[in-house]
Amino acid sequence: MTYIPQMTRRRVLAGFAATTAAALVLSGCSGGDDGSSSSGDSGWSVPSTDPTATIKVLSILDLKTAHMQEVIDAFQKAHPTIKIDYQSVAFDALNSTIDARVANKGGDPDVYWADQPRISALAARGEAEDLTAAFASYKDKFDPTAYDAGVYQDKVWALPIANSTQLLYYNKALLKKAGIPFPSASVDQRMTWEQLTKDAAKAKAAGAQYGMLFGQFDRYYQLEPLPVQLGGSVGATGDKNLTPDFTSEQWVKAFTWYGDLFKQGIAPRGMKPEESDPAFVAGRAAYTVEGPWLIPQLGESKVDWGIAPQPVFQGGKPTTPTGSWSLAMNPFSKQKEAAAIFMKWMSIDEGGGYIKYRSDPELAASTEGKKIYFQKSVFSSPEGKKAAPIIDYETSHTAVNRVQTIGYIEFETILNQAFADIRNGADAKTALDNASTQLATAWKKYE
Amino acid sequence: MTVTPHATEAAGAFTAVARPPVNKPPRRRSTSTVVLTAVSVIVGLGFVLPAVWIFIGSFRPNLEILTTMSPLSWHLIIPSELTLENYSRLLFDSGFARALLNSFIVCIASVALGLAMSAMAAYALAVFHFPGRNLIFAVIVISFMVPFEAIAIPLAQQFTDWGLGNTMVGLILPGLGNGLAIFNLRQYFLGIPQSYREAAMLDGASEPRILFSLYARLSGPALTNSALLIFLGQWTAFLWPLLIVSDNSLQLAPVALASTFGEHAADYGQNFAGTIVLTLVPAISIFVLQRFFGRLSIESGEK
Amino acid sequence: MASPTVTSEPVAARRRRVGRRHEAFWAVVFLTPAIAALVVLRVVPTVGAIITSVYKAFPGGIIPATYTGAGNYESLFSDPNFVDTILRTLVFNLIINPLQIALALLLAVLFVQRIPLVGAWRTLVFVPVTVPIVGSCIAWGAALNPNGPINALLSALGGNPQPFLTSPDQALACIIVLASWIGIGYWMLFLISGLQAIPEDLYDAAKIDRAGPFRTFFHITIPMLRRPLLFVLVADTVANFVLFVPVQLLTQGGPQGSTTLLMFDAYRTTYGYGSRNLGAAEVVILTLIMIFFVLLQFRLLREEKTPR
Repeated sequence: MTYIPQMTRRRVLAGFAATTAAALVLSGCSGGDDGSSSSGDSGWSVPSTDPTATIKVLSILDLKTAHMQEVIDAFQKAHPTIKIDYQSVAFDALNSTIDARVANKGGDPDVYWADQPRISALAARGEAEDLTAAFASYKDKFDPTAYDAGVYQDKVWALPIANSTQLLYYNKALLKKAGIPFPSASVDQRMTWEQLTKDAAKAKAAGAQYGMLFGQFDRYYQLEPLPVQLGGSVGATGDKNLTPDFTSEQWVKAFTWYGDLFKQGIAPRGMKPEESDPAFVAGRAAYTVEGPWLIPQLGESKVDWGIAPQPVFQGGKPTTPTGSWSLAMNPFSKQKEAAAIFMKWMSIDEGGGYIKYRSDPELAASTEGKKIYFQKSVFSSPEGKKAAPIIDYETSHTAVNRVQTIGYIEFETILNQAFADIRNGADAKTALDNASTQLATAWKKYE
Repeated sequence: MTVTPHATEAAGAFTAVARPPVNKPPRRRSTSTVVLTAVSVIVGLGFVLPAVWIFIGSFRPNLEILTTMSPLSWHLIIPSELTLENYSRLLFDSGFARALLNSFIVCIASVALGLAMSAMAAYALAVFHFPGRNLIFAVIVISFMVPFEAIAIPLAQQFTDWGLGNTMVGLILPGLGNGLAIFNLRQYFLGIPQSYREAAMLDGASEPRILFSLYARLSGPALTNSALLIFLGQWTAFLWPLLIVSDNSLQLAPVALASTFGEHAADYGQNFAGTIVLTLVPAISIFVLQRFFGRLSIESGEK
Repeated sequence: MASPTVTSEPVAARRRRVGRRHEAFWAVVFLTPAIAALVVLRVVPTVGAIITSVYKAFPGGIIPATYTGAGNYESLFSDPNFVDTILRTLVFNLIINPLQIALALLLAVLFVQRIPLVGAWRTLVFVPVTVPIVGSCIAWGAALNPNGPINALLSALGGNPQPFLTSPDQALACIIVLASWIGIGYWMLFLISGLQAIPEDLYDAAKIDRAGPFRTFFHITIPMLRRPLLFVLVADTVANFVLFVPVQLLTQGGPQGSTTLLMFDAYRTTYGYGSRNLGAAEVVILTLIMIFFVLLQFRLLREEKTPR
């Protein structure tokens, strides 16, 4: 019936073998083994004359909508022979993009935005170039905490281009309606969280839709100072900060307070972090704790707003959130000199090109940059004038960096989930204990 | 026709919508009919209500959507203000229009290439006789029926290693392998009488000509259904573009929609508008394709 | 290269042989794209995942990996959270799949009755299928917000507002409702086709035997519907096993890990934590489970081919 030519049968078998072989080869083949040196060539430095090069920059800020075009244009003007190939990705995609692209060893991107608390992880993974030789001498140009954020195991891995802090904003109309006195703008007369809780409840009872809000609900960035104010740790201890440390009495107390805010309805459950600024700007909340970036939005709104320093727990030590973005260099970059020039221009030159030329005011990490920042028009309003000294004081005196650990990503993910659970009603101690066990498991891989 | 119509009809489910109900013995307009009708209405409305909310919401200012969510009032469904602002901002001010274009390109390319590939494979597996034919058919269909999500992550890493990360090609390729499309087409081709092919071969036609001129023209419904399967698979793809694309300007519509949700979670108006736009495209395509290609069938080949 | 002896063969046999070779040639040509796609799109990533899963590496992918054999699998199965995830995924599927198919069947039975405008009601139920899942999740997320319309409706009806997606006890159930709203219309259509293919004479015979509606349903309809029913059940299982979008957009695996399903966990391990190797091991486990269900589905599909 079926006459199978010898050739066809052999061909079929050969085809099958070839297919499997191809599969094995293809799956093992990676595109990046092009013989470039493994850890990048050391011994480069910031040159005195500009090389001619094109560097690829990976950011989380859109060129148009985040007004980065003006910054890039200014750089091109100052350094015409270095071309910038700029690309932005969504914040959530940044880490995996960096992982994938840098691991390709193709040198793309040359420079990338690095979230400060993740810098240790980046360094440990081999995804950042050692900048100590080139940039350690510029240390005193920066606010100490901002600079330290880029240091891991005594080496510099990233340069800060921005900083942040948190302030207490209040809606004067809603406070008047509830008969609450305005908080003082002086850092010596800081409110306590306990007092704020009472006042926010009063404002809500008098008709405010929300008593108080946080700029970033359930995020470690926002909530880290709470236990620290009470004397607790930033969240991890031990050799290399790889032992979870957030189940202490101080942590439980701080987060019981946090959970109670929502249980009592003073602050809303279910509101996403992105929704809180619009809510305050629309005049629906009596208080919010948010960064300086709220000020321009308030300037354009109808809210009669006031400003005060971030509160502290009764008997606690004033502590504020801090930190923002830095720039790091790809160790496989083929244009390290040009990349270094860009990084220096962005963070140091003239107070930081990023600060000077971007129309959206951004708190600088450098001392000179801060002067430029405080001259921006948003600080010329009566409340703005009060805000400037608060910001200056907090960034220099009360800022505490987030925990520096190579396991930061797991830390933040698991802990943020615990915060969300506490906000939704979980018992603080249980949630923190569970998170601690989860994190210990996740961190096993670093042993 | 000896082939059980189940599978082809299953895949041709979209055309099934237009079919009249099965011929039951006529019932009097009894209470049971009234009850059943009432149940049908309630069920139908229940399913469509959220979609209606989305549709209406896309034409309302975002503030109104937010304020009418609670407490319950007629205003949840009855808008007091209508606006096209959501659509205009979505299509002109955001990157969504770009994402839509990308999605179209990817979908059309996938259909063109995927249909050709599926038709070729289905033809070979239906018309030719060679040892291992059934085995190869089984292997091909089974492999592509393993859901894409299961291997998406390792595939994304492979693609990145091969330099296909963040490329159009990388987006199109995985959409080509559709097991159900091959299965359907083969099923349909099996029903085409061998006499046509033999007649064509006597006329000196080559196999490709037989496939692309003869069989293709006779297979309207099956080709349409397979094209729809491939199109919809790519149009609704979320995980793959999420994994493979990092450049915002190359991103596809569903992921672009989700990312605006993340950034501006309070802007439901725009999100709803995006949802409606994404819904309309396949709905219109199904409708158009049904009208044009639903006619062609084997019967027309007899003439 | 073997060549057939030509001299003493009749012409017909030679033509047959040439015909076979001709067919074999074109078969190879026509099948190559599909087979190449199969290798690239299924075989390679599976092999790749298996290889990656037997190595251990520092997250990130630059520092070279070391061979660890079954190490990653041991880590996974000794991690109570992962075991919970697998159990949760299994329980989730044990609930959602029969539930969705039973509802789809009920709806199918309803919509093959003689009801005025039945086509319209059927289409309404199908509408959610056409809405892209991203949009559905966004809308349902808004609706299920503790301050949203569904709680408003509950309050208006005299009930208490529920936490929905913010509660570890309700979040997964909400996802089941949401996924069902999206998908039931699709399966319903398959079952309607199946119902319409049942020959009338079986029902006539039942009428003659004076069988009531329930007896007819369980003794005629269900048995005749067995194949499409099983097909739809397995296809739905395959789809639900890799459910990803609602978890990614709405709950990120929470609250308190109650919606962490296997597909999301694999994604988070690989892309969230950067642990490619551990993630690859999870993918391998997921794929093995999937292959089992797909083989099952194919078996059931193939039985369709036998002529009746």
